[in-house]
This record gives sequence, C-alpha cells and structure tokens, in this order.
Amino acid sequence: MSAAPLLAAREVSRTFGDHVALAPTSVEVRPGEVVGLVGPNGAGKSTLLAILAGALPPTSGSVELGAGVRAGWMPQRPAHYGRLSARQNLELFSRLEGVGDPSAFLARFELPDDGRPATALSVGNRQRLDLAISLLGDPQVLLLDEPTAALDPRQRRRLWETAATVRDEGGAVVIVTQHVEDLEHVADRVVALIDGVVVFTGTVPEYLRSEIAGALR
Amino acid sequence: MKAPLLILRKDLLVLRRSPALLGVLIAYPLVIALLIGLTAAYANAKPRVAFVDLDGIPPHVTVAGHSFNVDHLIDDVAKNVEIVRMSQSQAEQQLRSGRVAAVVTVPKGFVAELKGLVSSPHLTLATGTGGITPRVRQQMQALVYNLNRKLQSAFIQADLQYVNLLLNGGSGTVLGHKFSILGLAGTAEQLRQLPPSEQRAKIQDFVHDARLALALTGNAIRATAAPIELDEVSGEGRSSALSAQVQAYGLAITITFLGVLLAAGALAAERDENAIGRLVRGLVGFGQLVAAKIGLAVTVAFGLGLALLLGFGIAVEIGDVRGGQPWQRLPLVMLGVVLAGAAVGAVGALIGALARESRTASLVGILVVLPIVFLGLVPKEIVPAAGWISDAFPFVHAVRFFASALYDASPWDVVLPEGAWLIGLGALFGVLARLSARRLAA
Repeated sequence: MSAAPLLAAREVSRTFGDHVALAPTSVEVRPGEVVGLVGPNGAGKSTLLAILAGALPPTSGSVELGAGVRAGWMPQRPAHYGRLSARQNLELFSRLEGVGDPSAFLARFELPDDGRPATALSVGNRQRLDLAISLLGDPQVLLLDEPTAALDPRQRRRLWETAATVRDEGGAVVIVTQHVEDLEHVADRVVALIDGVVVFTGTVPEYLRSEIAGALR
Repeated sequence: MKAPLLILRKDLLVLRRSPALLGVLIAYPLVIALLIGLTAAYANAKPRVAFVDLDGIPPHVTVAGHSFNVDHLIDDVAKNVEIVRMSQSQAEQQLRSGRVAAVVTVPKGFVAELKGLVSSPHLTLATGTGGITPRVRQQMQALVYNLNRKLQSAFIQADLQYVNLLLNGGSGTVLGHKFSILGLAGTAEQLRQLPPSEQRAKIQDFVHDARLALALTGNAIRATAAPIELDEVSGEGRSSALSAQVQAYGLAITITFLGVLLAAGALAAERDENAIGRLVRGLVGFGQLVAAKIGLAVTVAFGLGLALLLGFGIAVEIGDVRGGQPWQRLPLVMLGVVLAGAAVGAVGALIGALARESRTASLVGILVVLPIVFLGLVPKEIVPAAGWISDAFPFVHAVRFFASALYDASPWDVVLPEGAWLIGLGALFGVLARLSARRLAA
C-alpha cells in the first residue's frame, strides 16, 4: 500500500444548487487494489465516481491521475448512442481512444453484431456494451458504477474476472455496488458514504463486521 | 481536428439511421419555404371580381363612331383581376361569402349615357372587407383608368371631327340632330367675295386667328387628356415563384430551420444519451463538440442547399426563364450556404447548450427560429426595430447574401459585408455556445 496512488481525489465536493451531493472527500486508489464504494441511494457514490472519472467537475477540490495512467469509466446509466449498433458504438469510441479494431470486444462481451440499434438491445447487453467501451483504452484504473445490476450470474462472474485481471496486472478498480457478493468476490477495501460523507474506510471483513454494513443491509 | 470529425460522422450516421426524423427535418422547412413562396405568388394573383350588367350591354358598342367588342375590351383592360359575369343576386351572395373580392355593376342607361358624350356614366364598385380590399380597389381603379384610356382616343377623335367641321364645314350629328355648317374655311371664302371694308377686314382677321387656333386643337386635347404618358416595357425577369427573393427566402429558411434544430438537438442529445461524460473525459473537448455540431449544420445545409439550387436551376431551364445566373453563381451561393450554415449552427449549438435536453432544445429552437424568420420578412423601412433585431441573427444576412449572389450583376457590394456579418455572428454565437457547453456536463 506504499506505492504512489494511480488516482486520488483531494477534498473534492459537489453541490447541485443548494443540495450538497458530496461533502469534501479524499480518496486514493493504489495499484493492485479493488475499492468498493457502498452506501444507500443518494449517498453520493455515483457523484464521487463521476468526479474521479473526470466526467463531472467538482465544486471544490481536485482529482489527480498518475502520469500516463489511463482510466476507464462505466457509468450507472447507459452511456452510448442508442441509434447506433453495438459495433458502431465500439468503433466510434475506439477511434476516439485512438485504439484499433474493436471486433475482439464484441466477441469477448458476447455482444450482438446484427446491426440493431443499441436501444433495441436488452438491459444486460447494454450494460456489457458500456463495460466494453470503458475497457477500450486498456485502462489501468477501472471505475465501475453498479456494473452487475442487470447482469446474469455468468456475466457477473466474468465481470469479477475482468476486475481481478486489471488488479492483478498492477491496475486498480473502483466499484460502486449495492451487493455484498461483489465486495466479497473482488474488493480489497471498502469506502462507505452516507449523505455525501465518508463514514467508513477499511477492509471488506472489517466492513462486514461494522454497524454501517448492518445499517445498510 | 480528428475528434470533431468523428463526432460529426457519428451524428450523420445517427441521422441516417433515423429516416423519419431526417425526413421531417428536411420536409418541414421546405414546406415553410413553399408556403412563403405561394404567399408571395398569391400577392401577384388576380382577385376574382363579379361583373353585373344591369344595362344589357350588347356584344358590340359603338361610341363616338368607334365600335368596341365589349368582351375583348374587358379582357384587354382587366389585366390584374379576373372578371366573372353573374347576376346581381349571385354577385351579392358571392361577395358576402368571400368568393369574389368585389362586384362591379353596370347600371341601367350606362351605354346610352356613354354614347351621348355629354356626361360621364358611372360604374358601381362594391367591395368586401378584409386585407385584400385596398388592393382590389386599386386594381379596379386601374381597370377604369384603362377603360377610360381606350374610350378616350375615340372621344378625342369624335371631338376633333367637330373641330374639323368648324374648320372646314360639312355635315354632322349632335344628340341625334343632323346639321350642316359653313366652317371657317368656307367663311373665309365668303368674306373674300364681299367688298373690302373695315368690318370685313376685322372678320377676316378673326377667321384667320380662329383657324390657326383650331388647327392646334388636336394636340391640345390629347395633351390635356393625358398630361403624362407612361410607356410600359414588358419585363423578361423571372416569374414570381422563382423570383430572387423567394429563392433566397426559401434557401435561408431551410438552412436556418435545419441548422438551428440539428445543432441544438444534436448537442443536447449528447447529454440525453449520457455520452457527454465519456466524451469530455479527454476524448473530445467542449470546443470540439461545439465545432462538430456546427459542422453538422454546415454539412446538412450544404447538401440540402445544393439540392435546392439545382432544383431552382433546372426549373429555370425548363421554364426558359431569363434573368439571373443560376449556374454561374452556384459556387458563390454555396459559399453563402456554408457561411449561413455555420452561423445558424452556432446559434443552434448555443440553444442546445443552454437547454441541455434535446426535446427542450428542439422546442426552444423552433420558438427562436420562427420569430427570427418572420422578423426577417418585415421590411426594415416599415418597422426599423424589426430590422435591428434581425441584424443580430444570421437569417436576414443569409437572405441578402443569397439574393445578391443569385441575381445582382455586381454582387460583391452586398455579398462581402453580408458574408462578414455571417462570419462575425457565427464566431460570436460559437464562442457563447462554447462557454455555455460546460453546463452539459454539470
């Protein structure tokens, strides 16, 4: 845990009008770890993840991404073009990322290649498409927002394998989840948020024994 | 520049995969342009006017020795109205229902009074209410003026025949009474046969002066009847439907609607699709995103503008209409299309960035475009404020650019400043859109 963080949030906060979605929060993500972000609905998990991903500017504080580190982000809602097919979406984002032919991702994530628009795909397929897009740039840091919500058990296992692979290759994963099962399978560390405030930081066993976990169940 | 081109390509792909949306986007402004064209054409259309003949005018009427074919005479003078013969009751009913714009009634005794050459007979004009009434009134006044012009020459000739009788003597008829007179020439001859005297000399002087004066009567009567003559030269310009203004408005309306709605909708849709977060994480900057949407407006404006211009040009060729240079000026007009597309695209991008949601952006786009277009149709000379507001948006500059580029013999005096306006407004709205685009990620 002494290695330099791949990604760090320094006292980041976010307000929407008068509503404080995230109080000033600091989080570090180091190589070789999977961090589970937990909390009830509206706790600020997705806001923190979007800020870490650089998709949402913080109201205050800053985010530091290690030199040369690439981050992939899979938001909670589908984040691709509904009128385009899975292949067209992957081709567009691979070109924007400056990487090659994305055909391998279609096979790897078992995505349909029949030209149907993404809106015609199942929720699970759309979630896998989002995951595939987030992995296009071969990221060292993977930021996943409730990635297993619509996945069947087999696809969920494959996602855990993907997260484990990123970690084992010296990268890091931050996963927002409501499922203890996800934490038990892949997470090394847990950060719990309630009402935009970090209320717990520790290992998975520590979290599972804590009152916070009991309250959130 | 790679990222904006990729986003532009994506937007075109999305459009291609949304044929219904594309169809509506193209058809809507074309319909608006067509309606405005039809309105412009209607402005030159002939209003329908009922003709009620209570006098039973015969097919041929002889006035002052000249025979007139009444139907031919009416066709000849009714250049701007469509005259339809009908009974008095029919005419009154159709005037009430608005099927005719006016009723011209020929009262009993009209022809007899006309033939009498003593007093002016009267026609009665009854008009309905509504915006067209002043125009119909003017056109009926023009009809009566033209009718008077036709009769006037016959009357002048008849008057001159009396003058000729006074000069040279002979037989004539007034109000049905025949008469014979000696005339001034005969009087002079008679005077010469009388013995010289002071009285004879005075009468000879008078006869001499009177003959000289009456010899000038012909020209004097003609000059008095028409102090100013208007010589008409028939034009060879385009028909109203293809006039420069209609083409320019059609082109500008189409580009404005498409450019604003496409750019606004496409930019806001990045947020609707939740893709904006992915893009602004370093893949595509806000400025590049705005540039891509302006590029989308330019690309679609270019394609549709070219198709419209080719259509206009072919119609001109088929119709063998002279005036204007539809083919030679095509590159210059297309330059205007690109500049106008970019400027309206920037306006659309600003709307999209502020609205943040594609349905709202489309609605706001229409709400903004309609008054801009209608303000642009209001002549600056009539409502100066409309002109000032119009100047702040690209539409009116695009209209002036297109109209001048299509038809002016030396278009540069208009094209250069209007092109500069389009560039300036495009840059201004583009910068505002770039500054506002941050709202999309918030």
